[in-house]
Amino acid sequence: MKKPLPAPDADTAEFWRGLRNGQLLLQHCGDCGNVQYYQQGICRNCGGENLTHRPASGRGKVHSFSVVHRAPGPAFKGDVPYAVLLVELEEGPRMISTYIGGKPDDVTFDMDVTLVCEPINDEITLPRFRRA
Amino acid sequence: MSAVSKSSARNNSLRGKIAVIGIGMSPVGKVPGKSPLWLAADAAKKALADAGIQKREIDGVLSSHAMASPFHRFSIAFSEYFGIQPTFSNTLQVSGATAATMFNIGAAAIHGGLAETVLVVAGDSLLSGLTPELALRSLTESRDQQYEMPFGIPVANTFAMTAHRHMKEFGTTPEQLAQVAVTQRRHASRTPGAQQTKPITVDDVLNSGMVTTPYHKLDCSLISDGGAAFVLTSAERAKALGIERPVYLLGGAECYTHEHLFLMPSLTTTGAVESSRRAYAMAGYGAKDMDVAGVYDCFTGTVIMMLEDLGFCPKGEGGRFVADGQMTYGGQIPSNTHGGLLSFAHSGIPGSLFHFHEVIAQLRGQCGERQVADANLGLVHSLGAGFATNATTIFGTERTL
Ligand SMILES: [Zn+2]
Repeated sequence: MKKPLPAPDADTAEFWRGLRNGQLLLQHCGDCGNVQYYQQGICRNCGGENLTHRPASGRGKVHSFSVVHRAPGPAFKGDVPYAVLLVELEEGPRMISTYIGGKPDDVTFDMDVTLVCEPINDEITLPRFRRA
Repeated sequence: MSAVSKSSARNNSLRGKIAVIGIGMSPVGKVPGKSPLWLAADAAKKALADAGIQKREIDGVLSSHAMASPFHRFSIAFSEYFGIQPTFSNTLQVSGATAATMFNIGAAAIHGGLAETVLVVAGDSLLSGLTPELALRSLTESRDQQYEMPFGIPVANTFAMTAHRHMKEFGTTPEQLAQVAVTQRRHASRTPGAQQTKPITVDDVLNSGMVTTPYHKLDCSLISDGGAAFVLTSAERAKALGIERPVYLLGGAECYTHEHLFLMPSLTTTGAVESSRRAYAMAGYGAKDMDVAGVYDCFTGTVIMMLEDLGFCPKGEGGRFVADGQMTYGGQIPSNTHGGLLSFAHSGIPGSLFHFHEVIAQLRGQCGERQVADANLGLVHSLGAGFATNATTIFGTERTL
Protein backbone atom coordinates (compact mmCIF):
# COMPACT_ATOMS: atom_id res chain seq x y z
CA MET A 1 0.00 0.00 0.00
CA LYS A 2 1.25 3.47 -0.95
CA LYS A 3 2.12 6.05 1.68
CA PRO A 4 0.12 9.25 1.71
CA LEU A 5 2.04 11.99 -0.10
CA PRO A 6 1.42 15.72 0.23
CA ALA A 7 -0.62 17.38 -2.51
CA PRO A 8 0.81 20.92 -2.79
CA ASP A 9 -1.81 23.68 -2.98
CA ALA A 10 -1.80 27.35 -3.96
CA ASP A 11 -0.23 28.34 -0.62
CA THR A 12 2.45 25.66 -0.57
CA ALA A 13 3.75 25.00 -4.09
CA GLU A 14 6.90 27.07 -3.46
CA PHE A 15 7.62 25.22 -0.21
CA TRP A 16 7.64 21.85 -1.95
CA ARG A 17 9.66 23.30 -4.84
CA GLY A 18 12.21 24.46 -2.25
CA LEU A 19 12.56 20.97 -0.81
CA ARG A 20 13.17 19.58 -4.29
CA ASN A 21 16.11 21.98 -4.41
CA GLY A 22 17.37 20.86 -1.02
CA GLN A 23 16.03 23.86 0.93
CA LEU A 24 13.54 24.06 3.78
CA LEU A 25 11.83 27.39 3.13
CA LEU A 26 10.41 29.42 6.00
CA GLN A 27 8.23 32.47 5.49
CA HIS A 28 9.58 35.75 6.88
CA CYS A 29 7.14 38.63 7.32
CA GLY A 30 8.48 41.93 6.04
CA ASP A 31 6.00 43.88 8.14
CA CYS A 32 6.36 42.39 11.63
CA GLY A 33 9.38 40.08 11.44
CA ASN A 34 7.41 36.90 12.21
CA VAL A 35 8.98 33.68 10.93
CA GLN A 36 6.46 30.98 10.16
CA TYR A 37 6.06 27.34 9.27
CA TYR A 38 3.82 26.16 7.58
CA GLN A 39 3.22 28.07 4.37
CA GLN A 40 0.26 30.46 4.33
CA GLY A 41 -1.01 33.28 2.15
CA ILE A 42 -0.91 35.66 5.12
CA CYS A 43 1.28 36.27 8.18
CA ARG A 44 -0.18 34.43 11.17
CA ASN A 45 0.85 37.29 13.44
CA CYS A 46 -0.09 40.52 11.63
CA GLY A 47 -2.18 39.34 8.69
CA GLY A 48 0.14 41.03 6.19
CA GLU A 49 1.01 39.51 2.84
CA ASN A 50 4.54 40.88 2.59
CA LEU A 51 6.07 37.42 2.99
CA THR A 52 9.36 36.22 1.60
CA HIS A 53 10.82 32.74 1.60
CA ARG A 54 14.25 32.16 3.10
CA PRO A 55 15.95 28.81 3.50
CA ALA A 56 16.23 27.56 7.07
CA SER A 57 19.68 26.70 8.38
CA GLY A 58 18.47 23.13 8.78
CA ARG A 59 19.68 23.07 12.39
CA GLY A 60 17.25 22.25 15.18
CA LYS A 61 16.60 20.37 18.42
CA VAL A 62 14.26 17.50 19.25
CA HIS A 63 11.54 19.13 21.38
CA SER A 64 9.64 15.87 21.69
CA PHE A 65 9.43 12.50 19.97
CA SER A 66 7.59 9.23 19.97
CA VAL A 67 8.80 5.91 18.61
CA VAL A 68 6.01 4.27 16.63
CA HIS A 69 5.78 0.50 17.15
CA ARG A 70 2.28 -0.01 15.76
CA ALA A 71 1.90 1.60 12.36
CA PRO A 72 -0.98 3.96 11.54
CA GLY A 73 -2.29 1.83 8.70
CA PRO A 74 -0.70 -0.68 6.36
CA ALA A 75 1.43 1.85 4.44
CA PHE A 76 3.78 2.37 7.38
CA LYS A 77 3.90 -1.24 8.59
CA GLY A 78 7.25 -1.92 6.97
CA ASP A 79 8.87 1.05 8.69
CA VAL A 80 8.26 0.29 12.38
CA PRO A 81 9.84 1.08 14.71
CA TYR A 82 10.45 4.65 13.59
CA ALA A 83 10.83 7.88 15.55
CA VAL A 84 8.45 10.74 14.82
CA LEU A 85 10.07 14.02 15.85
CA LEU A 86 8.78 17.40 16.86
CA VAL A 87 11.78 19.48 15.81
CA GLU A 88 12.30 23.02 17.04
CA LEU A 89 14.18 24.85 14.30
CA GLU A 90 16.95 27.31 15.08
CA GLU A 91 14.74 30.05 13.57
CA GLY A 92 11.95 29.33 16.08
CA PRO A 93 9.17 27.40 14.35
CA ARG A 94 8.53 23.74 15.17
CA MET A 95 7.75 21.02 12.65
CA ILE A 96 6.87 17.33 12.46
CA SER A 97 9.38 15.02 10.84
CA THR A 98 10.98 11.61 11.21
CA TYR A 99 14.44 10.53 12.30
CA ILE A 100 16.81 8.93 9.81
CA GLY A 101 20.37 7.73 9.83
CA GLY A 102 20.25 5.90 13.14
CA LYS A 103 18.24 3.71 15.46
CA PRO A 104 14.99 5.28 16.74
CA ASP A 105 16.00 4.39 20.30
CA ASP A 106 18.99 6.72 20.02
CA VAL A 107 16.74 9.81 19.90
CA THR A 108 16.77 11.91 23.07
CA PHE A 109 15.09 15.14 24.19
CA ASP A 110 16.81 18.35 23.05
CA MET A 111 19.20 16.37 20.82
CA ASP A 112 20.74 18.47 18.02
CA VAL A 113 19.54 17.43 14.58
CA THR A 114 20.17 18.46 10.96
CA LEU A 115 17.89 18.55 7.94
CA VAL A 116 18.13 15.84 5.30
CA CYS A 117 16.06 16.29 2.12
CA GLU A 118 14.86 12.89 0.97
CA PRO A 119 13.43 12.68 -2.57
CA ILE A 120 10.34 10.46 -2.74
CA ASN A 121 9.43 11.01 -6.40
CA ASP A 122 9.88 13.69 -9.09
CA GLU A 123 7.58 16.12 -7.30
CA ILE A 124 7.88 15.40 -3.60
CA THR A 125 10.94 15.59 -1.37
CA LEU A 126 10.32 15.10 2.36
CA PRO A 127 12.24 16.98 5.06
CA ARG A 128 13.74 14.51 7.54
CA PHE A 129 16.32 14.92 10.28
CA ARG A 130 19.48 13.10 11.38
CA ARG A 131 21.63 13.56 14.45
CA ALA A 132 23.81 16.69 14.02
CA MET B 1 -11.77 38.12 36.89
CA SER B 2 -13.13 40.92 39.09
CA ALA B 3 -16.11 40.43 41.37
CA VAL B 4 -18.19 42.81 39.26
CA SER B 5 -17.57 41.14 35.93
CA LYS B 6 -18.04 37.75 37.57
CA SER B 7 -21.47 38.66 38.89
CA SER B 8 -22.52 40.17 35.57
CA ALA B 9 -21.27 37.05 33.82
CA ARG B 10 -23.46 35.06 36.15
CA ASN B 11 -26.49 37.21 35.45
CA ASN B 12 -26.22 37.15 31.68
CA SER B 13 -24.84 33.67 31.24
CA LEU B 14 -26.47 30.32 30.74
CA ARG B 15 -25.78 29.43 34.36
CA GLY B 16 -28.71 27.50 35.79
CA LYS B 17 -30.96 28.36 32.85
CA ILE B 18 -30.89 24.93 31.22
CA ALA B 19 -31.62 21.51 32.71
CA VAL B 20 -30.78 18.02 31.56
CA ILE B 21 -34.06 16.14 31.96
CA GLY B 22 -33.29 12.84 30.29
CA ILE B 23 -30.28 10.62 29.66
CA GLY B 24 -29.90 7.41 27.69
CA MET B 25 -27.27 5.03 26.43
CA SER B 26 -27.31 2.16 23.95
CA PRO B 27 -25.51 -1.09 24.68
CA VAL B 28 -21.78 -0.37 24.39
CA GLY B 29 -18.62 -2.33 23.63
CA LYS B 30 -19.10 -4.87 20.89
CA VAL B 31 -22.57 -4.38 19.42
CA PRO B 32 -22.51 -6.19 16.07
CA GLY B 33 -25.23 -5.77 13.48
CA LYS B 34 -26.29 -2.32 14.67
CA SER B 35 -25.66 0.83 12.65
CA PRO B 36 -24.56 4.17 14.14
CA LEU B 37 -28.10 5.46 13.50
CA TRP B 38 -29.62 2.54 15.42
CA LEU B 39 -27.21 3.06 18.32
CA ALA B 40 -28.12 6.76 18.39
CA ALA B 41 -31.86 6.02 18.13
CA ASP B 42 -31.72 3.41 20.88
CA ALA B 43 -30.02 5.91 23.20
CA ALA B 44 -32.53 8.61 22.19
CA LYS B 45 -35.54 6.39 22.96
CA LYS B 46 -34.13 5.75 26.43
CA ALA B 47 -33.40 9.45 27.04
CA LEU B 48 -36.96 10.40 26.04
CA ALA B 49 -38.44 7.67 28.23
CA ASP B 50 -36.22 8.84 31.09
CA ALA B 51 -37.50 12.41 30.64
CA GLY B 52 -41.08 11.17 30.24
CA ILE B 53 -41.67 13.05 26.99
CA GLN B 54 -42.73 12.07 23.46
CA LYS B 55 -40.53 12.35 20.40
CA ARG B 56 -42.80 14.99 18.88
CA GLU B 57 -41.82 17.30 21.75
CA ILE B 58 -38.23 17.42 20.44
CA ASP B 59 -37.76 20.51 18.28
CA GLY B 60 -33.97 20.60 18.22
CA VAL B 61 -31.40 17.92 17.37
CA LEU B 62 -27.63 18.28 17.72
CA SER B 63 -25.29 15.51 16.74
CA SER B 64 -21.79 14.69 15.57
CA HIS B 65 -20.43 12.92 12.53
CA ALA B 66 -20.14 9.14 12.80
CA MET B 67 -17.13 7.50 11.15
CA ALA B 68 -19.00 4.29 10.40
CA SER B 69 -21.96 6.12 8.87
CA PRO B 70 -22.12 7.39 5.28
CA PHE B 71 -24.21 10.42 6.26
CA HIS B 72 -22.41 13.76 6.35
CA ARG B 73 -25.45 15.43 7.92
CA PHE B 74 -25.80 12.88 10.71
CA SER B 75 -28.26 14.99 12.73
CA ILE B 76 -30.55 15.25 9.69
CA ALA B 77 -30.25 11.56 8.82
CA PHE B 78 -30.94 10.77 12.47
CA SER B 79 -34.12 12.85 12.53
CA GLU B 80 -35.47 11.09 9.45
CA TYR B 81 -34.54 7.66 10.93
CA PHE B 82 -36.18 8.59 14.23
CA GLY B 83 -39.28 10.02 12.57
CA ILE B 84 -39.08 13.65 13.66
CA GLN B 85 -38.88 17.00 11.86
CA PRO B 86 -36.97 19.39 14.11
CA THR B 87 -36.82 23.14 13.50
CA PHE B 88 -33.26 23.47 14.84
CA SER B 89 -30.41 21.08 14.01
CA ASN B 90 -26.73 20.69 13.25
CA THR B 91 -23.91 18.16 12.99
CA LEU B 92 -20.91 19.50 14.87
CA GLN B 93 -17.21 18.69 14.54
CA VAL B 94 -14.46 19.73 16.91
CA SER B 95 -13.26 16.15 17.58
CA GLY B 96 -13.58 14.94 21.17
CA ALA B 97 -14.75 18.34 22.42
CA THR B 98 -17.81 18.07 20.17
CA ALA B 99 -19.67 16.42 23.05
CA ALA B 100 -19.40 19.57 25.15
CA THR B 101 -20.22 21.88 22.26
CA MET B 102 -23.51 20.03 21.74
CA PHE B 103 -24.46 20.94 25.30
CA ASN B 104 -23.24 24.53 24.96
CA ILE B 105 -24.94 25.19 21.63
CA GLY B 106 -28.08 23.34 22.66
CA ALA B 107 -28.27 25.41 25.83
CA ALA B 108 -27.66 28.67 23.97
CA ALA B 109 -30.31 27.75 21.40
CA ILE B 110 -32.88 27.12 24.13
CA HIS B 111 -31.89 30.27 26.01
CA GLY B 112 -32.02 32.30 22.78
CA GLY B 113 -35.39 30.94 21.72
CA LEU B 114 -34.26 28.87 18.73
CA ALA B 115 -35.56 25.68 20.28
CA GLU B 116 -37.46 24.56 23.36
CA THR B 117 -36.34 20.96 23.81
CA VAL B 118 -33.05 19.82 22.32
CA LEU B 119 -31.94 16.24 21.84
CA VAL B 120 -28.17 15.83 22.02
CA VAL B 121 -27.43 12.50 20.37
CA ALA B 122 -24.57 10.54 18.83
CA GLY B 123 -23.81 6.96 17.88
CA ASP B 124 -20.94 5.22 16.17
CA SER B 125 -19.79 1.73 15.42
CA LEU B 126 -15.99 1.85 15.42
CA LEU B 127 -15.54 -1.74 16.56
CA SER B 128 -18.12 -3.61 14.47
CA GLY B 129 -18.80 -1.13 11.68
CA LEU B 130 -15.14 -0.48 10.84
CA THR B 131 -12.22 -2.87 10.82
CA PRO B 132 -9.58 -1.86 13.42
CA GLU B 133 -7.31 -0.97 10.51
CA LEU B 134 -9.93 1.32 9.01
CA ALA B 135 -10.74 2.84 12.38
CA LEU B 136 -7.09 3.68 12.91
CA ARG B 137 -6.78 4.95 9.36
CA SER B 138 -9.77 7.24 9.65
CA LEU B 139 -8.11 8.72 12.74
CA THR B 140 -4.84 9.07 10.84
CA GLU B 141 -6.48 10.73 7.90
CA SER B 142 -7.85 13.43 10.13
CA ARG B 143 -4.28 14.79 10.34
CA ASP B 144 -2.88 17.43 7.98
CA GLN B 145 -2.08 15.83 4.63
CA GLN B 146 0.95 18.01 3.86
CA TYR B 147 2.76 18.57 7.15
CA GLU B 148 1.88 15.61 9.37
CA MET B 149 0.47 12.67 7.42
CA PRO B 150 3.48 11.98 5.16
CA PHE B 151 5.48 11.16 8.30
CA GLY B 152 3.16 8.41 9.51
CA ILE B 153 1.87 10.27 12.53
CA PRO B 154 -1.22 8.67 14.03
CA VAL B 155 -3.34 10.79 16.36
CA ALA B 156 -2.01 8.57 19.18
CA ASN B 157 1.43 9.90 18.36
CA THR B 158 0.44 13.54 18.86
CA PHE B 159 -0.89 12.74 22.32
CA ALA B 160 2.18 10.58 22.97
CA MET B 161 4.54 13.47 22.22
CA THR B 162 2.77 15.68 24.76
CA ALA B 163 2.94 13.00 27.47
CA HIS B 164 6.55 12.23 26.59
CA ARG B 165 7.54 15.88 27.05
CA HIS B 166 5.56 15.94 30.32
CA MET B 167 7.71 13.03 31.54
CA LYS B 168 10.86 14.91 30.53
CA GLU B 169 9.82 18.19 32.20
CA PHE B 170 8.19 16.90 35.38
CA GLY B 171 9.55 13.41 35.93
CA THR B 172 6.21 11.72 35.33
CA THR B 173 6.84 7.97 35.17
CA PRO B 174 5.46 5.08 33.05
CA GLU B 175 4.18 3.57 36.31
CA GLN B 176 2.17 6.72 37.08
CA LEU B 177 0.67 6.68 33.58
CA ALA B 178 -0.22 3.02 34.07
CA GLN B 179 -1.91 3.80 37.38
CA VAL B 180 -4.59 5.76 35.49
CA ALA B 181 -5.49 2.65 33.48
CA VAL B 182 -5.44 0.46 36.60
CA THR B 183 -7.70 2.85 38.53
CA GLN B 184 -10.21 3.20 35.74
CA ARG B 185 -10.34 -0.56 35.16
CA ARG B 186 -11.24 -0.96 38.81
CA HIS B 187 -14.00 1.62 38.30
CA ALA B 188 -15.29 -0.20 35.21
CA SER B 189 -15.53 -3.47 37.12
CA ARG B 190 -18.51 -1.94 38.96
CA THR B 191 -20.20 -0.53 35.83
CA PRO B 192 -22.83 -2.76 34.24
CA GLY B 193 -22.17 -3.21 30.53
CA ALA B 194 -18.58 -1.92 30.53
CA GLN B 195 -16.42 -3.31 27.74
CA GLN B 196 -13.38 -4.23 29.88
CA THR B 197 -13.86 -5.26 33.49
CA LYS B 198 -11.00 -7.68 34.24
CA PRO B 199 -8.70 -6.14 36.86
CA ILE B 200 -5.23 -5.12 35.67
CA THR B 201 -2.00 -4.18 37.43
CA VAL B 202 0.66 -1.61 36.66
CA ASP B 203 2.85 -4.49 35.41
CA ASP B 204 0.08 -5.64 33.07
CA VAL B 205 0.06 -2.17 31.50
CA LEU B 206 3.86 -1.99 31.22
CA ASN B 207 3.96 -5.46 29.63
CA SER B 208 1.09 -4.93 27.19
CA GLY B 209 3.34 -4.03 24.25
CA MET B 210 4.50 -0.64 23.06
CA VAL B 211 2.22 1.25 20.65
CA THR B 212 4.03 4.58 20.40
CA THR B 213 6.35 5.68 23.20
CA PRO B 214 5.54 6.26 26.02
CA TYR B 215 2.20 4.52 25.43
CA HIS B 216 1.65 0.78 25.79
CA LYS B 217 -1.47 -0.92 24.53
CA LEU B 218 -3.22 -0.58 27.91
CA ASP B 219 -2.36 3.13 28.09
CA CYS B 220 -4.61 3.57 25.04
CA SER B 221 -8.39 3.80 25.02
CA LEU B 222 -10.67 1.16 23.56
CA ILE B 223 -12.33 0.96 20.18
CA SER B 224 -16.06 0.43 20.67
CA ASP B 225 -19.62 0.67 19.45
CA GLY B 226 -22.23 2.71 21.27
CA GLY B 227 -24.48 5.72 21.42
CA ALA B 228 -25.66 8.24 24.00
CA ALA B 229 -28.43 10.82 24.15
CA PHE B 230 -29.60 13.65 26.39
CA VAL B 231 -32.68 15.84 26.55
CA LEU B 232 -32.13 19.52 27.38
CA THR B 233 -34.77 22.10 28.09
CA SER B 234 -35.18 25.33 30.05
CA ALA B 235 -35.15 25.22 33.84
CA GLU B 236 -38.75 26.55 33.80
CA ARG B 237 -39.96 23.83 31.47
CA ALA B 238 -38.17 21.18 33.55
CA LYS B 239 -40.18 22.43 36.55
CA ALA B 240 -43.44 22.50 34.57
CA LEU B 241 -42.82 18.91 33.46
CA GLY B 242 -42.33 17.87 37.08
CA ILE B 243 -38.86 16.42 36.42
CA GLU B 244 -37.80 14.74 39.63
CA ARG B 245 -34.05 15.37 39.62
CA PRO B 246 -33.09 17.92 36.99
CA VAL B 247 -29.37 18.48 36.60
CA TYR B 248 -28.44 22.04 35.70
CA LEU B 249 -25.78 23.34 33.37
CA LEU B 250 -23.79 25.76 35.53
CA GLY B 251 -20.82 26.47 33.33
CA GLY B 252 -19.70 25.69 29.79
CA ALA B 253 -16.61 27.02 28.03
CA GLU B 254 -14.26 26.06 25.22
CA CYS B 255 -10.76 26.89 24.02
CA TYR B 256 -9.09 26.23 20.67
CA THR B 257 -5.35 26.84 20.65
CA HIS B 258 -4.09 25.35 17.38
CA GLU B 259 -4.81 22.87 14.61
CA HIS B 260 -1.33 21.40 14.01
CA LEU B 261 0.59 19.82 16.88
CA PHE B 262 3.67 21.80 15.87
CA LEU B 263 1.77 25.02 16.58
CA MET B 264 0.59 23.91 20.02
CA PRO B 265 1.80 26.77 22.26
CA SER B 266 3.09 24.38 24.96
CA LEU B 267 3.14 20.59 24.83
CA THR B 268 2.45 20.29 28.54
CA THR B 269 -0.04 23.09 29.34
CA THR B 270 -3.20 23.10 27.25
CA GLY B 271 -6.32 25.06 26.35
CA ALA B 272 -7.99 23.24 29.25
CA VAL B 273 -6.55 25.93 31.54
CA GLU B 274 -8.60 28.61 29.79
CA SER B 275 -11.73 26.53 29.14
CA SER B 276 -11.90 25.48 32.79
CA ARG B 277 -11.13 28.98 34.08
CA ARG B 278 -14.08 30.31 32.11
CA ALA B 279 -16.37 27.43 33.08
CA TYR B 280 -15.56 27.85 36.77
CA ALA B 281 -16.17 31.61 36.49
CA MET B 282 -19.56 31.04 34.89
CA ALA B 283 -20.52 28.43 37.49
CA GLY B 284 -19.24 30.46 40.43
CA TYR B 285 -17.43 27.37 41.73
CA GLY B 286 -13.82 26.20 41.58
CA ALA B 287 -11.97 22.93 41.19
CA LYS B 288 -11.99 22.29 44.95
CA ASP B 289 -15.82 22.41 44.95
CA MET B 290 -16.25 19.56 42.46
CA ASP B 291 -17.48 16.23 43.83
CA VAL B 292 -17.00 14.07 40.74
CA ALA B 293 -15.41 14.44 37.32
CA GLY B 294 -15.37 12.96 33.84
CA VAL B 295 -11.97 13.64 32.32
CA TYR B 296 -11.38 12.80 28.68
CA ASP B 297 -9.01 9.85 28.68
CA CYS B 298 -8.02 8.88 25.17
CA PHE B 299 -4.66 7.99 26.76
CA THR B 300 -3.48 7.69 30.35
CA GLY B 301 -1.16 10.69 30.17
CA THR B 302 -4.00 12.85 28.91
CA VAL B 303 -5.77 12.37 32.26
CA ILE B 304 -2.66 13.31 34.24
CA MET B 305 -2.18 16.51 32.24
CA MET B 306 -5.86 17.42 32.50
CA LEU B 307 -6.05 16.91 36.28
CA GLU B 308 -3.36 19.59 36.42
CA ASP B 309 -4.85 21.98 33.85
CA LEU B 310 -8.32 21.70 35.40
CA GLY B 311 -6.83 22.83 38.72
CA PHE B 312 -7.20 19.63 40.73
CA CYS B 313 -3.45 19.60 41.41
CA PRO B 314 -0.46 21.85 40.60
CA LYS B 315 1.29 21.64 37.22
CA GLY B 316 3.66 18.71 37.12
CA GLU B 317 2.05 16.95 40.10
CA GLY B 318 -0.49 14.93 38.11
CA GLY B 319 1.48 11.70 38.16
CA ARG B 320 1.95 11.74 41.93
CA PHE B 321 -1.70 12.84 42.40
CA VAL B 322 -2.92 9.77 40.53
CA ALA B 323 -0.47 7.36 42.18
CA ASP B 324 -1.61 8.76 45.54
CA GLY B 325 -5.20 7.64 44.88
CA GLN B 326 -6.57 11.16 44.42
CA MET B 327 -8.60 10.34 41.27
CA THR B 328 -10.61 7.57 42.85
CA TYR B 329 -13.08 7.12 45.73
CA GLY B 330 -11.83 8.69 48.94
CA GLY B 331 -9.44 10.90 46.97
CA GLN B 332 -9.75 14.53 46.02
CA ILE B 333 -11.74 14.04 42.82
CA PRO B 334 -13.22 10.66 41.87
CA SER B 335 -12.84 10.67 38.09
CA ASN B 336 -14.15 8.50 35.30
CA THR B 337 -16.11 6.40 37.76
CA HIS B 338 -17.68 4.43 34.89
CA GLY B 339 -14.23 3.41 33.57
CA GLY B 340 -13.92 6.03 30.84
CA LEU B 341 -12.64 5.56 27.34
CA LEU B 342 -9.90 3.33 28.70
CA SER B 343 -12.23 0.64 30.12
CA PHE B 344 -15.93 1.49 29.69
CA ALA B 345 -16.13 2.24 25.94
CA HIS B 346 -14.81 4.58 23.26
CA SER B 347 -17.02 4.82 20.22
CA GLY B 348 -15.69 8.18 19.00
CA ILE B 349 -17.78 11.23 19.93
CA PRO B 350 -20.30 9.12 21.87
CA GLY B 351 -17.35 7.98 24.01
CA SER B 352 -17.02 11.52 25.21
CA LEU B 353 -20.77 11.68 25.83
CA PHE B 354 -20.46 8.66 28.16
CA HIS B 355 -18.54 10.91 30.58
CA PHE B 356 -21.52 13.29 30.56
CA HIS B 357 -23.87 10.36 31.14
CA GLU B 358 -21.85 9.18 34.11
CA VAL B 359 -21.41 12.58 35.78
CA ILE B 360 -25.12 13.41 35.37
CA ALA B 361 -26.10 9.96 36.71
CA GLN B 362 -23.78 10.56 39.69
CA LEU B 363 -25.46 13.92 40.38
CA ARG B 364 -28.85 12.16 40.22
CA GLY B 365 -27.59 9.57 42.72
CA GLN B 366 -28.24 6.68 40.34
CA CYS B 367 -24.86 4.96 40.27
CA GLY B 368 -25.50 2.12 42.70
CA GLU B 369 -22.35 0.62 44.16
CA ARG B 370 -20.14 3.11 42.34
CA GLN B 371 -22.08 6.14 43.60
CA VAL B 372 -19.95 9.01 44.92
CA ALA B 373 -21.55 10.06 48.22
CA ASP B 374 -23.29 13.46 48.25
CA ALA B 375 -22.33 14.35 44.69
CA ASN B 376 -23.81 17.76 43.90
CA LEU B 377 -21.25 19.35 41.59
CA GLY B 378 -19.68 17.58 38.64
CA LEU B 379 -17.22 18.55 35.92
CA VAL B 380 -16.77 17.03 32.48
CA HIS B 381 -13.75 17.88 30.37
CA SER B 382 -13.70 16.80 26.76
CA LEU B 383 -10.96 17.41 24.23
CA GLY B 384 -9.65 16.22 20.92
CA ALA B 385 -7.20 16.33 18.04
CA GLY B 386 -4.00 16.34 20.08
CA PHE B 387 -5.34 18.95 22.54
CA ALA B 388 -6.35 21.26 19.67
CA THR B 389 -9.89 21.39 21.08
CA ASN B 390 -10.81 21.69 24.77
CA ALA B 391 -14.15 22.17 26.50
CA THR B 392 -15.14 22.16 30.16
CA THR B 393 -18.71 21.69 31.37
CA ILE B 394 -19.94 22.03 34.95
CA PHE B 395 -23.21 20.59 36.18
CA GLY B 396 -24.99 20.90 39.50
CA THR B 397 -28.05 19.71 41.36
CA GLU B 398 -30.90 22.00 42.41
CA ARG B 399 -29.16 22.93 45.68
CA THR B 400 -26.09 24.29 43.86
CA LEU B 401 -28.04 26.93 41.94
ZN1 LIG C 1 3.56 39.79 10.06
